[in-house]
Parts: sequence; C-alpha cells; structure tokens
Amino acid sequence: MTVSLTLDNVTAHYGSTQVLQDLSLAIAAGELVSLLGASGCGKTTTLRLVAGFLEPTSGSIRLGDRDLTRMPAHQRDIGLVFQNYALFPHLSVRDNVAFGLKQRGLGSVERKAKADTMLERVGLSAFAERMPAALSGGQKQRVALARALVIEPPLLMFDEPLSNLDAKLRVDMRVEIRRLQRANGTTSLYVTHDQEEAFSISDRVAIMNAGRIMQLDRPEVLYQRPANSFVARFVGFENLIDMTVTERNGASVKATTPAGASVFLSQDVFGAIPDRFVLAARPDGLAVTRSEDGIPVTLGIRTYLGRAYQYQCMAQSGTYLGNGPLTEPLEPGTAASLVPVPEQCCILPSDA
Amino acid sequence: MMKRLTPWILVGPASLLVLAFLILPVGATLVETFADPKGWLAPYAAFFNSGFRRTVLYRTIEVSLITTILSVILGFIAAYVVAQMPARWKSIMIIAAVFPLLTGVVVRSFAWLILLGKNGILNNLLLSLGAISEPLTMLYTKGAVIAAMVYLFVPLMILTLAGVLEGIPKDVTEAASSLGAPPFAVFRQVILPLAMPGLIVGAVLVFTGSFTSYATPQLLGGESQMMMGTFLYQRAMVTFDWTGASTVAAIMVVVTITIVVLMTRLARRMNPMAA
Repeated sequence: MTVSLTLDNVTAHYGSTQVLQDLSLAIAAGELVSLLGASGCGKTTTLRLVAGFLEPTSGSIRLGDRDLTRMPAHQRDIGLVFQNYALFPHLSVRDNVAFGLKQRGLGSVERKAKADTMLERVGLSAFAERMPAALSGGQKQRVALARALVIEPPLLMFDEPLSNLDAKLRVDMRVEIRRLQRANGTTSLYVTHDQEEAFSISDRVAIMNAGRIMQLDRPEVLYQRPANSFVARFVGFENLIDMTVTERNGASVKATTPAGASVFLSQDVFGAIPDRFVLAARPDGLAVTRSEDGIPVTLGIRTYLGRAYQYQCMAQSGTYLGNGPLTEPLEPGTAASLVPVPEQCCILPSDA
Repeated sequence: MMKRLTPWILVGPASLLVLAFLILPVGATLVETFADPKGWLAPYAAFFNSGFRRTVLYRTIEVSLITTILSVILGFIAAYVVAQMPARWKSIMIIAAVFPLLTGVVVRSFAWLILLGKNGILNNLLLSLGAISEPLTMLYTKGAVIAAMVYLFVPLMILTLAGVLEGIPKDVTEAASSLGAPPFAVFRQVILPLAMPGLIVGAVLVFTGSFTSYATPQLLGGESQMMMGTFLYQRAMVTFDWTGASTVAAIMVVVTITIVVLMTRLARRMNPMAA
C-alpha cells in the first residue's frame, strides 16, 4: 500500500515565534523527498508536525485519504527513525523491533517471527538478544530502521538519521536506507542538513530557509538550475553578480556589472535574459584569463585544486572565486579577467 | 609494593571508623540477643509470643508499606509534572518540594498536631462547614501517622524521581507513540520501567525511613499506635531491657533487608537494566 503525503498551507508556531509559513508540500506515493537546510530552517518542525508531536496553527496534513492534522501521534501509523536512534534501553534488540507489533496486538509468537525476519533483513540476526547499550552506533541505527520498517507503515520519516555516524558508515547506511525504501516502495520524508546525503538518496529535494521551501526539485535540477540566489548559494554557486543588460544584438546580450564591467552572454544558451538579473557561477564557471575581455580583476590568493588553480579575484563590484588552467599559474597581484563559462553559469531573477 | 598498598591505606581510616562505630556495636548488639541465659533464641521467642509486640511489628510494617506506596504514587505524579516543566519553573518547583526538608522532623510533626487536634484547624473547618457535628478523632490514629509520614517523605521521592524522569530522553517516548503506543502504554511500557531505578532508590529510602521513624509515631501515634522505633526506645530507655531492645533492633534489620531485597527483585523484573 503506497500513499501520498500532502501538506497544505501549513503554518506553525513555537509560542509566539512563527517557524513555518504557509508551507505546502506533496510527496507522491513511493517517493523519497528530503528536506534540506541549515538548523532552524523548519525542516525538523515539518517532520514533527507530520509525526504528530506538534500541532499546526493552520493548514492541513493528509496521508492518502486520512486527515492527520489533529490526529494523535500514536494513531498516525508512521515509521520514524531518529537522529539519536531513540531505542528503548530496557528492551532487547528483538523487543525493540517488536514494540510496534505489540501495540498492534500481535501475539508473541508472531511478533518474534516478524521481528527476527526484519532483523535478518538489516543483518542483525546475531544481535537479537543484546541490549541496545551493547551495540555500536551503526548497529543501533539499523535496529531503529528495523523497528520503523517492521510495522509496514505507509510513510517513513527520517530525522537526520546518519549524523551521528562516521563518514564511511554514513555512505553504507544511506545506500541501505535507499535499498529498503525502494524494496518496500514506502513513501518517505527525509530530513537532513547534509547536501550530499540529500542529493544522493532522494527522488526530490526541498531546500528550506526560514520556514519556507525555496525550491523543490530533482537533485540534478537543483544542482544545475537553481531557481533563486538562496538555492544557488546553497548548492555552491559562490559567485552571484548583479547584472544589467546594456545592449541586445539578436541572441547576443551585453550585460554590465554595477562597476561598469561588461560580459557577453548568448540567449541561445540561457534562454530569454531579463533586463536585470543575477549571474550565478561556481568557481568553475568563471574562467581566469589574461585576455582583455570580461570582468577586470586583480588576483589574490591562489590555491591548488588538483584539476585547476583557484584564485581569489578582486573586482570593483566585489570579490569572486574563479578557476584558471594548470598550464599557467598566475601570481597574486596580477591583473586578469573573468570570463563566464556559459554551460557552468545560471541566470537568476534579480533579488532587488 | 607501595602501589599495591596505596588503595588500602586510602580506605583505611574510613574502614576503621565504620568498623569501630558501626560493625562492632551492631555485632555486639546482635550477639547479645543470642547469648541469653534462657536459651539462644529465647528473646525472639519472647518477642513473637507476645501479642502486643507482634502487633507493634505488624503495625510498623503496615504503616511503612502504606507510606511507601502513597509516597511513590504522589511523588511520581509530582515528579512527572515537574519534569515536563520549562527549566526555570522546574528549579522553582524542586526548591518548593525540598523546602519542608529544611525544618526538623519534630517541627513538621508538630504541624500535624495543630492540624489534626480536637480543636485543630481541620476539625474547626469541617465544623464550620457543617460537614460534621462534633470533632473527629484524628490524632493518635494510624491515619495521622501515615499522613504525617507521607508528608515527610514525598519530597525525598520527588527529588529522587525528578532526576530520573528528566533523564528519560524525549525522543524515546516519542518513538513509542510513533510506533502506536497510546499514552498509557507509553507510561506502562517505557516511562515506568525506565524510572524503575529511581523508584527503587526512593522506595527504599522511604520504607527504611518510615520503618525506623521515631518522632512522628511518638508525637502523632502515641501509646495506642506504638511502632518499632518508639517501642525500641521504650525498651531501652524506660524499662532498661537491653536484650529486649537489641532483639527489636535485630528484627528491624532483618525486616528492612528482606523488604529491600524484594523491592529490588520486583524492579529487575520490570527493567533488567535496573540495579
């Protein structure tokens, strides 16, 4: 049974502080969507609202055809995986996994059978009798995962499940989570502050800021075509340059920085370019050259990246990061130019 | 060589103190009860053959158990409420709970004399409300002793339990409800077992405290509600029956240890992690 999760215009407060503002989100049946953002952006609040640990001030939450908005947490039937595992310290691994089955009134024989099958799936059969205190972090998180999966919930939610694990284990576990989620086709909501984790595991990612979703899309789209400056900065477009179009000549557009430096951009590559926009570029997207075209800069610190040299570039309109070829290292203080690499740049709506 | 001896040298002074002022006197007291000229169990036979003395023992056990149970229930509820409060309120409530402990046991028992007496506050209140037509006898009853002892020991229980309940991570109880446990099941299957270590410490403190109490039963129970503590005092200081007093002491030690062991057993069954 796979169902969709829908949040409609959900607003939430902690006391008098508004933490979510008219948030709408639809997760299709079987889809894994991540909420990604810095702490305080509202991602965990969203998860707690869906889990039923917090009530929205307004708006509605639906899971399939069930209205969850004011339903008590224990009736929601959601599998939840916590950051700190939240295992029951007084119960054995098997009893931890069987806890949800017990609440559903299953007999002890059936509980044990189902719990053991699930423990086998997460590779912990040998640990069924152990107490949680005797497990490593990775094992604890597997138990937590098994405990959430065994109740066969229509919705799985993960609250930063990997942030307490070391780097190697993190990669293994996220593959594991994805595998189990795919195998069951369970609709999932995944909360994390780790961009790599969110992008690698999700069908779609919602980047959040200040209680709002800034952009919700497939990881590829977010990474290559951010919709606004916030998302652009979040996915590594370190250079955001305000531009004004000063000349149009067919497909070719001449755009000028506030300091008066000009670059040429083609509408064949970028589509229609508005009169005012923000040019977003990763360091890869701004080529450092000695030619006369482009934005004139004075080079600052040079760092070696292996595939290129990266330079701090001081222009009149601001400081940017650009990459230059390995063949020609340039010294700090050299006068150079920054030329946008069209495939590596984005045109964003102007913030002003 | 020195390294091996260091720990012994460090625990030496304290061990000597305990030996000299606890183990030796208690040992001597106990030995005395077995060295009676009338036979080695004679003092115990005398104790259990006396209907009055048996009643005192049973009454003491009964009053202590009821006090413990009431303190556990009241203390748990209070501690649970306190543990849910925001941090600032929490410390205010804890201070309020502990405040009575700053006055002496005798003073607090006296307060109950004023409350429960024939002309006491409670009787006057009930009379003026017309709930009763003549004053109730509340002093020198088992109820008075229990009420006063519960009042004495609940702060202790709150103090022990508040820490334990606060130590139960919120996400553990949230995990339980997300897995379908209604509030009572969360309490019964998660909170109660996890609070068990604190409950046991508290219950043992309350039980031993009320089982050995002296001032409260003396002031509020009087002769008619004599308990082991007051009886022991009477044996030793009024009738100078030292063997009899030692016998009472020995029985008290045995009963206390038995009850404490039983409580710990019960706790371990509910939560294998508890001591």
